[in-house]
Amino acid sequence: MLFKIAGSIIVILSCSFLGFILSGDCSKRPRQLRELQGLLQMFENQISYLSDIITEAFERIGRVGGSGTGIFFRRTVEILKEGNAPNASEAWTKAVRQCIRTTALNKEDEEILLSFGKLLGNTDIEGQVKNIRLTLGQLSLQEDKAEESKKKNENMYKSLGMLGGIALVIVLL
Amino acid sequence: MIFRIAAIGILVAVLNQLLIRSGREEQAMMTTLAGLIVVLLMVVKEIAVLFDTVKTIFRLD
Repeated sequence: MLFKIAGSIIVILSCSFLGFILSGDCSKRPRQLRELQGLLQMFENQISYLSDIITEAFERIGRVGGSGTGIFFRRTVEILKEGNAPNASEAWTKAVRQCIRTTALNKEDEEILLSFGKLLGNTDIEGQVKNIRLTLGQLSLQEDKAEESKKKNENMYKSLGMLGGIALVIVLL
Repeated sequence: MIFRIAAIGILVAVLNQLLIRSGREEQAMMTTLAGLIVVLLMVVKEIAVLFDTVKTIFRLD
């Protein structure tokens, strides 16, 4: 009997834990989208006020960016330094394709980033700034959407985990 | 037995509400169906016993 009670408690606890982990994953995407917007804003400031060249700017942003979305910038610089891409725009495309898996971003976000890359380094400062603004607008729309789905899913995963655990215990007991 | 089935019923009802409220009607129906099947699997043995009892009462064996 004692065995059964202990086992049930363990099953319920682990299922709730699983639910909490999944709901934590839900809140990752809006956070990373916000982070990405901050980094792009930084990039805009650097090219419009400091007139940095793209590798320097990306390096600095990559250093600030941390482990989340900063990886795009770091990877782009790496690809450029290795000489695997003829220009910044292709390096960015490659970096996004390679690193999108390590972030919580989805297909739509990837498309936005790729279309940002198409104009990267192909126009004058004015055009670049406009391109960044456009991307920022799209990303903030995505963020709103992500926030909405987070609100919907976060609570659901939490209670689903615990209730699933209880159901499992009842069926097994 | 009865209490177990009742508990499953309550749980499935709560899960159903939860999933419907977060806009996943299909999964809600699937959980309801899963609960129904689990309960049926639990009950099927008792039904077999009932069937046998009825058969012996009316001497149909």
